[in-house]
Amino acid sequence: MGSDAPLSADKDVLVDANIFFAIGHPSNPQYRRFRSAVQNAGVVCKLPRRVIGELGGPETERVRTALDEGWATIIDAPSPTDGDAVAASDIARRTIANETDQAEHEVEKTDAILAGLAIQYVRDRATAGVVVLTDDKPARKGIENAVRAQGYTDAIAVYGLADIIGDDPGDSMRLI
Amino acid sequence: MTPDHDRVRPDGGIDALDPPPMDVMDEETLKPETLAQNAPRLETVVQLLNHPALARVYVYVCYWGPVAPPEIMETLDLSKSTTYEYVDRLVDLGLVDRDDSTRPQQLTADPIIIVEQYVPIVITPTVLHALALQEIDEDVEYFIDRYGIGKLIAALRGAGLHVAGKTTQRMVANDIDVRETEAMMIIYALKPVLAVGREHDPFFEYLFPDVHDEMDLPDLDENDGAPTPSSDPDR
Repeated sequence: MGSDAPLSADKDVLVDANIFFAIGHPSNPQYRRFRSAVQNAGVVCKLPRRVIGELGGPETERVRTALDEGWATIIDAPSPTDGDAVAASDIARRTIANETDQAEHEVEKTDAILAGLAIQYVRDRATAGVVVLTDDKPARKGIENAVRAQGYTDAIAVYGLADIIGDDPGDSMRLI
Repeated sequence: MTPDHDRVRPDGGIDALDPPPMDVMDEETLKPETLAQNAPRLETVVQLLNHPALARVYVYVCYWGPVAPPEIMETLDLSKSTTYEYVDRLVDLGLVDRDDSTRPQQLTADPIIIVEQYVPIVITPTVLHALALQEIDEDVEYFIDRYGIGKLIAALRGAGLHVAGKTTQRMVANDIDVRETEAMMIIYALKPVLAVGREHDPFFEYLFPDVHDEMDLPDLDENDGAPTPSSDPDR
């Protein structure tokens, strides 16, 4: 789904915590590649407050660097009274439960929240669309299902880290 | 007595008294000579579990052997004396074979496996690799310091399920009872273990019977057969 260039300045980009763990510390080549992909596209990554908490707070080095350099910002979770967002989160939760063979109440709240946020952003903001970045396949599928169910298929795209900075060449990992 | 598998402790142990069926032990298994044969094997594994630096050399030789000591020195960034000390210990323990007929000597190691379904315990080169990573990775070191080896193995299994798309990282956190931050951190830290284990550990499937061929991991460049010594340890 989506066009060939996943990131563009006219879209809102929501980012899950695992992306920031996957890119590692600011000294890491993956971090640098991610930063230049984001900056070249003229994008400011939106990090939900819950996600910031998971990352260890806004003072954690990798978060602080992104905030200071102006390519990330903190946003609030969707309002618990926003019907569309709640419905989307519910669909995402059901999908994740199904994908992982778990009961719905076993699904972590934050895994489902991005779907609600994505719907809220695309509905309320006059942007060209919303991009969600997450490295979790079941969560990705959850967002895609929620988007489809609510009819925003063309406006919301979900990507993993590899879609942004390319496949990990393997030789960048210290193996042993 | 009914086994109570719901009472698995976060460290992977089982809380309840859950003895295996009596018939797993028989006269044959309990023969003094059989037990005597197993004794050194138990000892070697205990040695590896207690000495991650030693386990690191063992896993390297096991995965990339035959190798010569200078290669170990260079790739693992060890001093000459430490390298020879570890190699001697591994040879004494019977874990590494030394071929002195060539110069330099060539080392090889057979992969070991211990599976005990009643506890449960599974120890394979992949598990030893995860353990050994604490020597070079501060995230793994932190995790083991805080939670122990049992939970590291649980995290390794969770990491495998995650890269196979069978679970989310937050679910792993919940399953093994660690903070979400810690789960995400350890899952990425263990990725090299999975990528290498899939290629080199013949017993990889014992840990991942269900998902070993579904993992989305980088393909390793195996042209020279071994990792480069200059890789950046930062992730």
